[in-house]
Amino acid sequence: MQEGRVLPARQINRDLLGSILYSPRWFWFAVAVLGLIVLAGFAAAGVMINLGMGVTGLNRPVMWGFFIVNFVFWIGISHAGVMLSAILRLSKAEWRRPATRAAEVLTVFSLMTAMLMPLIHTGRPWRLVYWIYTIPFIPYDFARGIWPNIRSPLVWDPSAVYTYLTSSILFVLVALIPDLAVLRDRTTGLPHRIYTVLAMGWQGNPRQWKLQIIAGVLLSALILPVFVSVHSIVSWDFGMAVAVKPWHSTIFAPYFVVGAVHSGVSAVAFVMIILRWIYGWQDYIRHEHIDALGRLLIVVATGWFYFFVMEVIFGFYGREADEIAFRDFQINSPPWNVWFIIFVGVTYFLPVTMWLASSWRRNLWLMSIACILVNIGMWLERFLIIIPALAEKQLFTFTWYTYAPSAVEITIVGATFALVSMLMLLFARVLPLIPLYDVKEGDILKTEIQIGRRTVPATFRED
Amino acid sequence: MAENAHHSQDMWVFPRAPEVTEFVTQKTFTRPGPVTLALALTGALLVLGIIGFVMKAVQYGFSDHTPWGYYAATFSFVFMVTSTGPLAAAAFRITKSHWRRPLSRVSEIFGIVGIFNILLFIPLAFVLPTLNNPDVGHHELALRRSIWFEGPIGSPLWWDLFGVMFVGVNALALLWLSAVPDMAEAYEKATGFRRSLYRILAGFWTGTKRQWLIHKAGLALLGAWYFMLLLFVHFIISSDYGQSMIPGWKDAIFPVVYSLSGFQSALGLILIIMFILRRFGGYQEYIGISPFWSASKLLLAFSLLWCYHMFSFGITYWYGRTELEQNVLKYLLFGSYGGVFAGNFFFSFVAPFLTLLWNPVRKTDWGPALAGAFALIGAFLFNIRVFVGSFNAGNVYGEFLNEVPPPVFPGLSDILIVIGGIGGAAFIYLLATRIIPIISLWEVKEGLLYQKMETFIRGRYLVLAKPE
Repeated sequence: MQEGRVLPARQINRDLLGSILYSPRWFWFAVAVLGLIVLAGFAAAGVMINLGMGVTGLNRPVMWGFFIVNFVFWIGISHAGVMLSAILRLSKAEWRRPATRAAEVLTVFSLMTAMLMPLIHTGRPWRLVYWIYTIPFIPYDFARGIWPNIRSPLVWDPSAVYTYLTSSILFVLVALIPDLAVLRDRTTGLPHRIYTVLAMGWQGNPRQWKLQIIAGVLLSALILPVFVSVHSIVSWDFGMAVAVKPWHSTIFAPYFVVGAVHSGVSAVAFVMIILRWIYGWQDYIRHEHIDALGRLLIVVATGWFYFFVMEVIFGFYGREADEIAFRDFQINSPPWNVWFIIFVGVTYFLPVTMWLASSWRRNLWLMSIACILVNIGMWLERFLIIIPALAEKQLFTFTWYTYAPSAVEITIVGATFALVSMLMLLFARVLPLIPLYDVKEGDILKTEIQIGRRTVPATFRED
Repeated sequence: MAENAHHSQDMWVFPRAPEVTEFVTQKTFTRPGPVTLALALTGALLVLGIIGFVMKAVQYGFSDHTPWGYYAATFSFVFMVTSTGPLAAAAFRITKSHWRRPLSRVSEIFGIVGIFNILLFIPLAFVLPTLNNPDVGHHELALRRSIWFEGPIGSPLWWDLFGVMFVGVNALALLWLSAVPDMAEAYEKATGFRRSLYRILAGFWTGTKRQWLIHKAGLALLGAWYFMLLLFVHFIISSDYGQSMIPGWKDAIFPVVYSLSGFQSALGLILIIMFILRRFGGYQEYIGISPFWSASKLLLAFSLLWCYHMFSFGITYWYGRTELEQNVLKYLLFGSYGGVFAGNFFFSFVAPFLTLLWNPVRKTDWGPALAGAFALIGAFLFNIRVFVGSFNAGNVYGEFLNEVPPPVFPGLSDILIVIGGIGGAAFIYLLATRIIPIISLWEVKEGLLYQKMETFIRGRYLVLAKPE
């Protein structure tokens, strides 16, 4: 699996810090374009807040629309960080090294973006203060008799997501310290002072390295339950709703988690291909890494498909009239049936067929297309879970309705993609998106074994 | 041997390649006293099981399913563990885990127990109630709930039977394909029946490059196929003989929990066998600590996943608050079978988790084996809870579980059936180890090429080759 050559540490520093020390020409142009889209999103949110929720396509009974779909989607993407960084670190997968930082950073930014969605969805975001009413001098709205229901998954949600966000930021920071010290030693002026503070006195002595490694392993292990809990709790927002029959399924939690990993790992693979292309990191993000991600994705996608099949089969299993009506609506009635076919095709059959061939996994164009398709499919999955179920929520057919997103909703959702892309670009401008020390460590551990007349790549194992 | 301070001396073992075949085949061809004793004991248990089965059949016949709950639980337990066994070899081979090599054959030999599973399943085929309600009464369904919906041809009976048979045949194929090079090598040293058998099964093998390529590709493809087939058969067996027998119980996560219990208990049993082989079978030079250490992490993961999936089921039903959901919870988890569930939870999650939480315990041979024993007990209680419960939940054509039925305790014939079923599986496994080498010769020799100890800075470390 080792296709790259061992590079001198000096060159690794030069190559991977290039995006920070010397800005490419296109950088500010790209940030400006993405920034404009983000501004448009904020403007749309402003219009919505000013004019009221009537400007969206939300209606009775479809009270959850694009915003909640997008919230679940970005929470899903955030699962890439732990999957690639923590799990592969614990399992000592060598090929993880160039992918971990991008995955962790994508986790942080997608979580931040996800949390914007319910805030916007409330229509009156300033009422956030009532969710955290213990803040001094901000009184809770007792007069209206509204109390937070501690047993509601909607209360569990922010707790889980913010715990995950805090852990993920900590995870990124701990792994960044040695690289921050490298930056500290190569900058001057204000950047130097900032990197000095962030590097926290890192000198690279044995004790510091030992502590850094222990912290990384401990955080990897501790973040795993948080990782599983986040999407499980998001799934229970739906699963605990007995009134919406198709949502009340025992399998929702693992089904959501596996789906999140599927979309998250695909997103990381796509981000890595983009990074390789825009920064010319061919020596670091090699075909073998994308190939390994492709193989991992076959397993994850097949696991997801298994849960999906179980969910659908047991939807029909009860033979309850309202659930059958929903499934019929979702699978047979236009336009949902078209979306459903596209969703199953692009989430599983098309990409997995592509990933089965090694030559296709190593073709960066095809891998990019496959990863984009998976994420289109996973977005559609959330859409098809939420909207048709709400549209036919009520028992009487005259209360059924449908949903069409408005331009405001489409603009806001589109802006979230621009926001995450812009934040990733800005991060690459100030901090390395490929961990320098991890790449160097990988190079040091590389060796070879002679078997007969062949020389086979090998690795020193610490365990 | 490893010389790093943080590892025990027998973490990795490097047997001398030229002696591997001689040693392992000699072990296979001889029958030491303890093995003879174990064969006699398990054979006697099998006979007791047959007596129990005859007693049950004479007393109750096959027209009513309710007396056969413990039989169904025994079949499910044996099938769950032994059908999942071969998956360990297949999965770790696909992921190219070097530590798997000593345990590959230990897991593949479970394929032979597949024949016993098929025999064990046949009586269950007769007792399963039909999908169509023969006499539709008040608050009854004309067609009971099942994963077969409107009931395609032969469902559920023939599909289940074919499923169990396909799994058995595929597991045998996996064992045969994996053992071909070893049998061809052992042929020279074998005599009598073994020599004839090896000639028939592996006489064509000459070890050409083409044969090796086909062999490797075949193992990968068959392993992947077996994985998918097994999940499907677990799904139909757990649904037809478990979930669909409790009126109104609709639980999409149950087949997943069933398969997870299978993964956990099969890995647990493999670790127990490895421990016995290492400690008492004379295989210290072939089985180091590293397979225990690596497999124990997976066992820990399976224990956590089991708990997570059970929690997901429990909280959704608890939160639902419908009468049916409360009755199912009271029946299977907290009321009638509450004690069995408590044991199930303790042995499937608490005990393995607390054992494997500690790295020094994971780095022993006894720690993972002990956790494996816990997992096996947990899986046994899981099957008792679910299948005895399902077979005694009342009217299978009812709309819902309107009341919580009492628990059913085993009679003498049930106890004989349980010990006979488990004893029979062990008897067949032991017999198989006398014919097929329990250590995969070609994999161990291949592993010796790919790993060695080398000096790195000031310590001695393992070097692992990754040829692909």
